Amino acid sequence: MTGKPISVVVVDDHSIFRSGLKADLDASVSVVAEAGDVDSAVAAVVENRPDVVLLDVHLPGGSGGGGAEVIRRSSGQAPRTRFLALSVSDSAEDVVGVIRAGARGYITKGSSGAEVSRAVATVAGGDAVFSPRLAGFVLDAFGAAAGEQASTDEELDRLSAREREVMRLIARGYSYKEVAAELYISIKTVETHVSAVLRKLQLSSRHELTAWALERRLL
Amino acid sequence: MTSMPARPLPPQRLPLVRPRDCVLGGVSVAVARHLGWSVSATRWVFAGLGFVGGAGVLMYLWLWATVPVEEATDAASDAPVRHRIPLRWLVVGLSLLAAIWLLLAWGGSGGVVAGLLFTLAVLVAAAAVFAPVGVRLWHELITERTKRVREEERAEMAAHLHDSVLQTLALIQNRAGPSSEVARIARAQERELREWLYAGTGSADADLATDLKDYATALELDYPVRVELVAVGTTAERSSGELAAACREAMLNAARHAGGEVSVYIEGSVSAVDVFIRDRGPGFDPARVPEDRLGVRESIIGRMRRAGGSATVRRGAGGVGTEVHLHFEPGRKEES
Repeated sequence: MTGKPISVVVVDDHSIFRSGLKADLDASVSVVAEAGDVDSAVAAVVENRPDVVLLDVHLPGGSGGGGAEVIRRSSGQAPRTRFLALSVSDSAEDVVGVIRAGARGYITKGSSGAEVSRAVATVAGGDAVFSPRLAGFVLDAFGAAAGEQASTDEELDRLSAREREVMRLIARGYSYKEVAAELYISIKTVETHVSAVLRKLQLSSRHELTAWALERRLL
Repeated sequence: MTSMPARPLPPQRLPLVRPRDCVLGGVSVAVARHLGWSVSATRWVFAGLGFVGGAGVLMYLWLWATVPVEEATDAASDAPVRHRIPLRWLVVGLSLLAAIWLLLAWGGSGGVVAGLLFTLAVLVAAAAVFAPVGVRLWHELITERTKRVREEERAEMAAHLHDSVLQTLALIQNRAGPSSEVARIARAQERELREWLYAGTGSADADLATDLKDYATALELDYPVRVELVAVGTTAERSSGELAAACREAMLNAARHAGGEVSVYIEGSVSAVDVFIRDRGPGFDPARVPEDRLGVRESIIGRMRRAGGSATVRRGAGGVGTEVHLHFEPGRKEES
């Protein structure tokens, strides 16, 4: 991803956060627009068609759907744009909700500018960004930890043994590179596994993941 | 009275409330207490006014409907109001009697008016029978509504704090760099606030994940470290257990010797609990730690072995830092 900087739209309802983030992002990323609520975010995304949208999960405006609503309303008109969710909240319902709406990953707002820039590059490259916490959600949601793996036949509703391993390593704080080294596979393979998991998370009807998150009152 | 404005006035009259233990509706007693009259005199007044075009009766009913019932005294807070004359059954009985009388007096030949009166009497009886159910449902509805309003208020406040304070704290951390003093304080505050906002409904007993989370917060205050804790599955493991003690020791080591980013991953299943504590410090070779350094050898490895579990310490992935893996099967403790 060298050469042309990645164009980014920053969507957050706090201007102070937007300017802080903008100042922190490194040179590989160029912010082309900003938005502070759902409607202006949709307009900005559709108009600029950026590579990546850094999207706050909680946003005012629209019909109250927050970040997930922005994705649903704009992804049709900007098919090449990818969304990366930013959140201060670690609550599973928020995170899983926005991922299921189509975001390619999720990072916390506490992340440093360099981390965010790296995540933006990963998402722009077509890969998914999994934080340790998101990996933890996935493992929990798919019942992988409890050895529940074999109870369903639906391919979308379970993780393969390898995917589970990858998720566990990410939850343990491993970077993709470290996961690759640990499992003796290439980084590309790790990224493939992660994208497959993301797809399952988005498409699986397993227990209606959002309901699951609510009911467990996870973080 | 005007000469002593600073002192609160003594209550001149008892508040107008109906007693919980009453004869009919408690209205006479309430009025009598409030005005300082005698109870029987008040009753006679109501009865006398009753003959003046029914004014007494109307007034009685009106007061009955509007004057609140006395607050319950502590112990019998849930005890229902007791009526000595069971007015409800009186109404039921009278209406049924009226209905029967109508039936006998006019039989089938009474026409429309008798039929209507009969229906009315039966309806009054039925209404009197089911009145308490209706009243109870109404009260439940009101209580439910109040509760919901409170919930909403709380959620609104949480959302507001979430948007303003938490965002600011996140920004401070972001700008101050992960291991600076300011970031540490901001992070600890953020965690504390978030716990308070969202954990209000959670259970108070400390399971392993909760305990380690608290410990991580404490460590972040004391050392330049950022702990990312992920818990998957559920465990029956408590904070008092040996596993928790070993975890805390490993986390302390990571915070003290490595600092920076520390990942803690807890995976619980029905049969076993695995905990991984990973840092990105200089790392060390467990085989070359001197005998007198008790930290790892005793507090972690020895402790886990004695408890019937196992602990391995190794270099982190890619040769960076250290990873401690604690494995514990609660069920196996008795056998070993």
